[in-house]
Amino acid sequence: MKDFKLPSPEEIKKIVTDSPIWRSVFRGGVWKDTPRDRAAHIIGNVWLHLHPVRTRLRGLRFIYSWGMGGISFWLFLLLTLSGVLLMFYYRPAVDLAYRDMKDLQFVVSYGWLWRNMHRWAAHAMVVTVILHMIRVFLTGSYKPPREFNWVLGVVLLTLTLFLSFTGYLLPWDQLALWAVTVGTNMAGATPLLGNEGPFSSLLGMRINNDVRFALLGGTAVGEATLIRFYVLHCVFVPFVVGAMLMLHFWRVRKDSFSAAPYSANEEKVEVWPNLIVREYLAAALTTVAILVWAFMVNAPLEGAANPTVTPNPSKAPWYFLGLQELLVYFDPWIAGVLLPNLIIVGLCAIPYIDNNPKGVGYYAYKERPFAWTMFLLGVTMWFVLIAIGTWFRGPSWAWYWPWESMLTHKPLPPRTWNVPNLLGGPALLAYFAGGLALPRLLKKDLDWKVVIPAVALFSVAVAIAVKIAHAVFISNLPPLAQMLPHLDPASLKYGFVSTLLGIGDGMPHFGIGSFVLVSIFVFLLSFFGVLMPQRYIRNMELLRYVAAMLLVLLTLGVLMKMGARLGFNIKYVFSIPQVNFNI
Amino acid sequence: MSPTIKKLFVWGNVALVVLLVLSVIRDQSGEWKKYQKTYYQLEAKELETKLAATTDETEKESLKKQIRAKEHAGLEIKQFIVKDLGRIDRCVTCHVGMDPLFNPTLTNNFTEQPYKAHPGDFLKTHSPTKYGCTVCHQGQGLATTVKDAHGFVEAWEKPMLGHPFIQASCAKCHQNFESLPGAEVAADGRGLFVKNGCYGCHAVKGWGGVISEDLGEVADKPLARIDPAAFAANGLPRERWSAQSWITLHLTKDPMSFVPGDPEGHMSAPISPSGMPPFYLELKEDEAKAITTYLLSLTAEKESLPHKFFVDVPVKPEPAFKSATEHGKFVFQKFGCAGCHGVEAKAGRRNFNALGPNQTKMEDGREPTLPDTVGTFTRDELRAKIQNGVPSVSINKFKTDGPTPPLYMPSWKEKIKGQELEDLISYLLSIAKKTEEW
Repeated sequence: MKDFKLPSPEEIKKIVTDSPIWRSVFRGGVWKDTPRDRAAHIIGNVWLHLHPVRTRLRGLRFIYSWGMGGISFWLFLLLTLSGVLLMFYYRPAVDLAYRDMKDLQFVVSYGWLWRNMHRWAAHAMVVTVILHMIRVFLTGSYKPPREFNWVLGVVLLTLTLFLSFTGYLLPWDQLALWAVTVGTNMAGATPLLGNEGPFSSLLGMRINNDVRFALLGGTAVGEATLIRFYVLHCVFVPFVVGAMLMLHFWRVRKDSFSAAPYSANEEKVEVWPNLIVREYLAAALTTVAILVWAFMVNAPLEGAANPTVTPNPSKAPWYFLGLQELLVYFDPWIAGVLLPNLIIVGLCAIPYIDNNPKGVGYYAYKERPFAWTMFLLGVTMWFVLIAIGTWFRGPSWAWYWPWESMLTHKPLPPRTWNVPNLLGGPALLAYFAGGLALPRLLKKDLDWKVVIPAVALFSVAVAIAVKIAHAVFISNLPPLAQMLPHLDPASLKYGFVSTLLGIGDGMPHFGIGSFVLVSIFVFLLSFFGVLMPQRYIRNMELLRYVAAMLLVLLTLGVLMKMGARLGFNIKYVFSIPQVNFNI
Repeated sequence: MSPTIKKLFVWGNVALVVLLVLSVIRDQSGEWKKYQKTYYQLEAKELETKLAATTDETEKESLKKQIRAKEHAGLEIKQFIVKDLGRIDRCVTCHVGMDPLFNPTLTNNFTEQPYKAHPGDFLKTHSPTKYGCTVCHQGQGLATTVKDAHGFVEAWEKPMLGHPFIQASCAKCHQNFESLPGAEVAADGRGLFVKNGCYGCHAVKGWGGVISEDLGEVADKPLARIDPAAFAANGLPRERWSAQSWITLHLTKDPMSFVPGDPEGHMSAPISPSGMPPFYLELKEDEAKAITTYLLSLTAEKESLPHKFFVDVPVKPEPAFKSATEHGKFVFQKFGCAGCHGVEAKAGRRNFNALGPNQTKMEDGREPTLPDTVGTFTRDELRAKIQNGVPSVSINKFKTDGPTPPLYMPSWKEKIKGQELEDLISYLLSIAKKTEEW
């Protein structure tokens, strides 16, 4: 007995890994860390075999990939795990759902942890998916042969938002009820299919048979909505997302894994351990971040849902606040249906419009200035709109500066006015026709050193012209109410005089702020809408050019309308109320 | 692998393990555990003093066993599942002394919360297993932390009722609360509500005036329907924002100061401030508390209580009166005329921007002081006035382009009739100031 020695860890490892049980479970023999072992580890493992065996180091760099695709997938797995655990306690019924949330918070072991993690991981996933898309755009990784995978990515982004949105309702608190009410009301404005949308009467849409009704399972958010959203959130959408992810990953792998360009004699490194450790790190550090977040901040839970008590303001989830803010500038069917669909279609169309072969697999602002500028302009506008909706809108959606308390009361906003159709119609036509034609008609290369100051001067000149017109025609007019006390201002919508009076009411002053605003917006429009396309895409083939310019003009159009509404109280530039066509 | 990745690998894993351990610790250290543990320790200590005093061996053995049991008692969530009310109350998780399962006598010698037994003998007649806790006390029965459970948190609009407001809960079931021992404050509140003529403007479940809100469910008033600026202006911290504070504010501060309206029309057309007269000038602090207590009993929860919980009371017949004027005085009070014309019709109360005597600003607007005015009416004119009322558009304004005065005389045709009307008129004519006869 005295000769007995405990086996060393190395010996134990050998005994275990050589045992028939181990050998039957794991393929391959003893791990010797040879290149063959490392390759076999990838090929022979069902979870890892989607990876190549060897890959190029430059595709692995964090600064290249940001790791956002992988992190999004990890968050999806984390959400699935936490979601399944929450499902053990949560019952989707109006009498029980809210109480179950309280139980999770107070008495279920680790209920607080899983719920907090689920909530924050969901927000984080929306962010990482968007960042992933931005990175893929900036490195041109959607260019052939990866166009379709970009489209799948856009679909996955939409599904991510929908997953998050359907989950929003489940706690059945005031936040849930009203955010979903706001969100689904937009669906009611769908043209043809929503009972408040244009042309819906043609299909016989009523409040109880339109697309909103289908979404809610009723005319208002209630029991049926809860079970619908529950099934969508827990079963249907995750299933679709899972299937799409398989496709997405499969295409990544088949399209040679990374778009980073090849260079001669480039050294390849083994995926095990070089990529696997990075993936593990991304997952681990993401988990650490979500855990810390879950420790520091509890997931919000307001009072129990009460359909008879509307909080003021009622805000949609943050990622839809941009669309809710758009409601200020456009009718619901445009803000809530047309524009989001155009964004999705426009994003999908990008790889098919952009035929610039340069800048695949690296950050190439110099080689793709137009694509970068327009994409980043769109992304910036999206987040600016979200920021406005989140921090600048208070009760009754009034504008509050960050230094103003939301407890103070705001005067009613000034009266808005419509540009008469005789003026607005041609202006709108000129905007699109001129916007399409002008960059293509100017055949010469323009010298920006000369043109940009000239455009700046032009912008100021426009502002001066507007100021003079305002001084001559409008500012001397007495307010509408005084001039026509016996007339209902609404009935005066179409007369030219009444329009002038309406402007006078809505815009009694044209001060220095308005002056600067006009100059800036005219300059932005000229620069992004004319100079940029003139320089970079005027020689595109016609169909591509038109598609690209339409996206550019629509994006800038939204910006211009925001300026017109915020700065000058213009409600509609062109309006045919009979068919709900108001721009 | 680069050194950076190696470092990240090590520290990332360390952070992960630390966080997982921390989450176990945090989950295992529920706030309630220390209270429950202390309760058992206090009980063990009591048994130990008993043990030191006793000499009987068998009793000693038994006591030792009991002490061991207390010291090793497992900590657990304790709760009342109240089927009748659809409530789950976890209050006894900390307040162990109030749980009949662990303290069958429902008495103990501890003096401090959360260890002491329930004061009074309420639990003898209101078994907590049948009624739970929150049906009377309010607060958040599902919660297990001090702050959340007592309900002074943002997402809970019914925090615990303190003294004397808890008496509101007696009145939820005991319809006879006006003669119920222990509900004196609520009863006083109801008396003051009638005496000050609150009924004149505020109906309760349809009985009373139409000028302002029906208070039948005022205890449930959601915060979303209250201007938060009113709380902020009175220095109430966020956790005190509640229906209770809202009611109390109306009785202890000038309602005009925190519902200022927009009489100058800065925002849009002029809006008059709250029309509620400044009762704070007439009410003492405990009177305001009493009225608040009564009003807090007016809740829709009543509707969902099982009918067997209700203690009903026969309708009290009105007292008999010796004279017509005495009956008229009673009618004056019954219909809440005092709300605008003052207790016992002594002086008209404030009515913003109504034209009153000796006026310098809109705030000085007054309802008529009846002894000064009724003398100018004949019996028939007075009858017509009461029956038809004075709509707000017919009230003379102090500032013509200012807001419409908020108070007006509603038409009483459907409410005050027959003998009540005649005797009311007799009463009013009896208090008229005698003008000098020429």
